[in-house]
Amino acid sequence: MARAGPPTPQTDSAADDTGRLVERDALLTSILETVPDAMIVIDAQGIIQTLSATAERLFGYRAADLIGRNVSILMPDADRRRHDQYIDRYLRTAEPRIIGIGRVVVGLRKNGDTFPMHLSVGEAHTAERRLFTGFVRDLTERQEFQQRLTELQSELAHMARATALGEMASTLAHELNQPLTAVANYLKGSRRLLESGTPDAVGRASEAIDLAADQALRAGEIIRRLREFVARGESEQRVEPLIRLVEEAAALALIGAQEYGVRAAFAFDPAADFVLADRIQIQQILVNLIRNAMDAMHESPRRDLTVSTHRLDRDTIRVDVADTGPGIAPLIADQLFQPFVTTKAHGLGVGLSISRTIAQAQGGELWVDAREGGGAVFRLTLKSARRAAAAEVEGAHEL
Amino acid sequence: MSSDAVVHLIDDDAAVRQSLAFLLATAGHAVRVHESALAFLENLEGLQPGCIVSDVRMPGMDGLALQRRLRELGVKLPMIIMTGHADVALAVEAMKAGAVDFIEKPFDDDLLLGAIAVALERRGDAAAQDSETARTRERLERLTEREREVLEGLLAGRPNKTIAYDLGISPRTVEIHRANVMTKMGARNLATLVRMTLAARA
Repeated sequence: MARAGPPTPQTDSAADDTGRLVERDALLTSILETVPDAMIVIDAQGIIQTLSATAERLFGYRAADLIGRNVSILMPDADRRRHDQYIDRYLRTAEPRIIGIGRVVVGLRKNGDTFPMHLSVGEAHTAERRLFTGFVRDLTERQEFQQRLTELQSELAHMARATALGEMASTLAHELNQPLTAVANYLKGSRRLLESGTPDAVGRASEAIDLAADQALRAGEIIRRLREFVARGESEQRVEPLIRLVEEAAALALIGAQEYGVRAAFAFDPAADFVLADRIQIQQILVNLIRNAMDAMHESPRRDLTVSTHRLDRDTIRVDVADTGPGIAPLIADQLFQPFVTTKAHGLGVGLSISRTIAQAQGGELWVDAREGGGAVFRLTLKSARRAAAAEVEGAHEL
Repeated sequence: MSSDAVVHLIDDDAAVRQSLAFLLATAGHAVRVHESALAFLENLEGLQPGCIVSDVRMPGMDGLALQRRLRELGVKLPMIIMTGHADVALAVEAMKAGAVDFIEKPFDDDLLLGAIAVALERRGDAAAQDSETARTRERLERLTEREREVLEGLLAGRPNKTIAYDLGISPRTVEIHRANVMTKMGARNLATLVRMTLAARA
């Protein structure tokens, strides 16, 4: 509908044109009122031209309050400041990063709630100007929640691995216990044999002890495979734009945030632009940290989640995930990154230990500090990608 | 052990199977090994009396499904379930379905051999079971209100942390109540506790 269509060939009568315009207006209005997706049309300056009834409901505004305003009002602070630059860059370079592609981003409702949404953008040219139409799907919608989550899992493939962290502990226990059981059986049996003093006891016991040793090695092999699973070598590291990496992870983790009553804010350091990392593994850590933060604030009166990025020096960038939960008791802070330590009613206590292993394998660190004014800040450092190197691949990796 | 009794061992892991057969042999048991529940079911004809020691998590048919199938078929061999992953809910289910014991891998040899001894003795000894049931009922009477609530949580297959959450008390307090329940009931492990409580209620 935002596509203006080919110019009308006949211009014989002004009345005809007016008639057509009226008809087109009516058509447009009916579409906007009935289209099930939230739809927002903006111009090249980012000014909202029109929007669908669903969009009004989704963002909690009335159309009259939005038309004529910059669309950035529907975005959290960090995106708000950058949105005009996004449009400028696109108009200048004609290089699409979201148009015709679609991605998961964070939206901001009138009441201040943030929520994950899928945004796809179409472009239309009219004789005088360019228009952009955004289609928004709310990813928190209850009835679609599970299905959407599943879709995201397969689309982006990282939640699958994040979930795998929890399941892995169970599988690991089972896998490791098999050889351990065999070791114990062989050794206990050998002792029984030796104590019995039967003629062939020593020979049979030595055989059994050899078999026990084999099984101990098998256990070691399982642990080695686990390590490889957790931190798959450096070959996967690439130059990645940090903001997009963080935003995507946050949008995923924030699914269902509404039910938690959590407000998410982002603060991106413009100097923290590119990192050298395995995107999926880092996103896995961030999803884990953000989910933890949301859980931690479950019973707090104030539920503010802040994700910020910082350039520390030439080689290091840091991402902070801060919450306003009860904070980490000093007693447990030291053990928090040990496996099987947890403060949750449900949970195996492997998320943070695996996250730290991944962070270290990626050349970074992961630790926790107390947040000023209460709560916790988890800090993750990453290797900064040199600007020169980044420039070469920017086009290849950003949308 | 009983001269005619055979321990039927079912586990899909070859190393576990062989090592366990070795251990049981050194303890004087006659052992038959089966690499799956289905393989065991295929050889039911002419089945030698004794007991079954089976893993839970196996491809094809798992230990619990085997337990159900055997009951349908009217095979009354006492069964000991082993698991590589301690899962309370699973233990409760197995015990409710009539397993003699539920043992977590890896285990001390005495623990398994003790369970096998119990399983082999249990065949047909109804009088002993009645007196045990009466004893269990007496012990249940001696539990406090809170201890009974914790016991209910355990029977429902809930971990300590969940029970604590449900009752609005700390996990440490649950641990203490749980320990008291075990002592008062004279149960050496959770599986025994579940088995004796369920038997007393039946």
